[in-house]
Amino acid sequence: MFGTALAQLRFGASVAFGLPFAQWSLDWLIDGLLATRREFGAIGAEGAEMMSGPEMDDEMRRDMHARRFRAQAKRAARDTAYYAHVFDGLGLDPAHLSYEDIGRVPITPKEALRDTPDAFVRRGSRPAFRTTTTGTTGWPTSVMFSDHEMRVYTALNSIAYLTHNQIGPEDVVQLSTSSRATLGNTCFALACQRVGALWMMGGLVEPALSLALLAEKRSIVGKKERVSFLSVYPSYLGELVETGLRLGYRPADFGLERVSVGGEVVTAGLKARARDLFGEVEFIEGYGITEIWPVGGVVCEQGHLHFEPSSGMVEVIGLESSQPAADGEAGTLVATPFPPYRETTVVLRFDTQDVVLPVLGPLTCAMRNLPATSNILGKRRLALRHAEGWTFPRAVMEALEALPDVPLPARFGFCAVPGGVAVEVVAASDAASVRRHIAASLEDAGVALQALTVVTDPTALTHPYPLRCDLRETSFRPTNTQAGWQPVENSPARSAA
Amino acid sequence: MNVAFYVVTACAAAALLFAWGYFRRYRVTRPPVGVMSLGDVIVMLAAIIVVPLLYLWLPIWLVALLLALGIGSVLYTSLEPVLRRRWAIWLATLALLGADVWAARSVGTSDNVFFAVNNLVLVLGIVGATNLWAQSGMKARDAAILGACLALYDFVATARLPMMTDMMNRLASLPFAPLIGWSVGGGPGLVVGLGDLLLAAVFPLVMRRAYGRTAGLMALALAFAALLVMFIGLETVWADMTIPAMVVLGPLMAAQYLYWRRRTGVERTTQQYLAAP
Repeated sequence: MFGTALAQLRFGASVAFGLPFAQWSLDWLIDGLLATRREFGAIGAEGAEMMSGPEMDDEMRRDMHARRFRAQAKRAARDTAYYAHVFDGLGLDPAHLSYEDIGRVPITPKEALRDTPDAFVRRGSRPAFRTTTTGTTGWPTSVMFSDHEMRVYTALNSIAYLTHNQIGPEDVVQLSTSSRATLGNTCFALACQRVGALWMMGGLVEPALSLALLAEKRSIVGKKERVSFLSVYPSYLGELVETGLRLGYRPADFGLERVSVGGEVVTAGLKARARDLFGEVEFIEGYGITEIWPVGGVVCEQGHLHFEPSSGMVEVIGLESSQPAADGEAGTLVATPFPPYRETTVVLRFDTQDVVLPVLGPLTCAMRNLPATSNILGKRRLALRHAEGWTFPRAVMEALEALPDVPLPARFGFCAVPGGVAVEVVAASDAASVRRHIAASLEDAGVALQALTVVTDPTALTHPYPLRCDLRETSFRPTNTQAGWQPVENSPARSAA
Repeated sequence: MNVAFYVVTACAAAALLFAWGYFRRYRVTRPPVGVMSLGDVIVMLAAIIVVPLLYLWLPIWLVALLLALGIGSVLYTSLEPVLRRRWAIWLATLALLGADVWAARSVGTSDNVFFAVNNLVLVLGIVGATNLWAQSGMKARDAAILGACLALYDFVATARLPMMTDMMNRLASLPFAPLIGWSVGGGPGLVVGLGDLLLAAVFPLVMRRAYGRTAGLMALALAFAALLVMFIGLETVWADMTIPAMVVLGPLMAAQYLYWRRRTGVERTTQQYLAAP
């Protein structure tokens, strides 16, 4: 307990004052959390509160953001080729930036990091790991991290899983994400190990195989009988749902308790239909991208996306200006990860191109003390500007995935036409009634629908919306193709034999 | 036996019984993260060795302040789940602290009015401190180790060296003196150290959680019996002596732990204890 208290103080100093994280304090905290779970069964809400940063009002937050941004800007200007050039031309001294000056620092476009990643790596740092983005079309963006950063991220993830009672030593975890998503997978998997859970990489393989792995029974002492925690992309979850129901799986076939879903837009329809297959699972939604890692968001019970202010500064910049988005105006998330969370590859005011709406306060949700935006509306490049305004992917997806006539994941495309948008969608049938349901759902969702094309063949889509589930990883098929992928019954007698 | 015997025995019994009754009925506000471990017990041992030296060396007003802060925080912990309302907890805590200070200053620390108030404060403090340790997950093993180590320490520091006696003499003149006692004829009657009662009271709680009600009751009975024998001895054959009580209590704790460990096996966790019928 004394050791845990000391570790909390040291951890708090890093969160509150930006001191470099001390690995020993993170390890002691994790050990304290594990001991608390073993002894008392769960971490209480007070534990989670204690581990989050101090509550801040707007003034405190501004002050902290100004200090931390200044610190990161100084390092960026001094140690990175990209920002040395930027600040040279700006006439701004990063050491004396005020909060109001932050808006004068140019927004860093995605293309800059993608095209010249090494120009963002700090001189004198020790990069040990290079990760690339998986959801990018064309050349991926790469970001480098040090060994220390990766250990810190693993520890922070472990602390988060334990304090929020999401993953524990008894859990069996399956990662059904792209194996090339090395940053997220590494941090997640090592955190699972650190908390004592059993994890495995499922990958984006044929859904029937993933389902068989999820349904597989185990007999490992101290572990749950089946996979209890799934980390998955929404589109791949949709494939699992469709395939699982078609193959006759039912909730009793699984032991799934919690599903962490992210990397794409997560719709209410997907979650509801996933419960038809998996039963009453808890969905954990968040936001995190490689370029601004570990700055990320957590979705609250009211659907807001909340950001922890000590790890970075998050702005919402108007879609058609470089200014903060006005109330009710959509904008993209522009983020600056702060020290000590980000040391090796430094980005200032990085434009994620993820669209959100600013949220008007005062908030009444459980995370009301954390700054918030709306949930992600979709990628900027996949949003459409038309005479009626904007149509974002979320609106279309929410409308489509709510309908049982639209197989999961919703495969669709939309483009601007005079007066609004034309939507094409893959449905179970192109009957008139199906068309009417889809059109009504889209209109109810506020989509300025001018034309609707319903097809039954995904290859007939002319502008298909990209889905991560299509980053398919193959495996050798079973020789007995009649049997397909069947879950293995792991009984002790079978193991002994 | 004189009245001091009965008062001190009653206070010791009250400390043990109230701590026992409090344990299942009330939840103290423990730190949300962290479990009392062997490492913490080692820190406590180190503090127990160092603190008497500090108490002998520091200015007396600072010693009094440290005692007040320590007792005050433990009283608050004890009263919090009972009174619940913050104003009531503060009122009761400050009233008890104030009464102790008033009694020490107005009638002196040799007067039985002071002993009456101070005994009450310390008994409540024992209830809070022992429940905080036990409800923070202190293992029966760790309590037994603490007891065994303190037995050795108490023998050296009390029976062989003047340190503990010198410290008690210094602290006896202060409010919140860590002694439960009663004066006889204006002179020293019978006293028992706060630390001895803390260990005597915490062990039945951790044994109850670890090995069940029977183990806890046995620890309670043996602790009280040991104290009673020592009190009787001090009133009769060992009058005017100082008995290092942990020399008796410590080995008793260790023996009980070893017995139940052998008989029952691994200790229960708090979760298992609370889930048991």
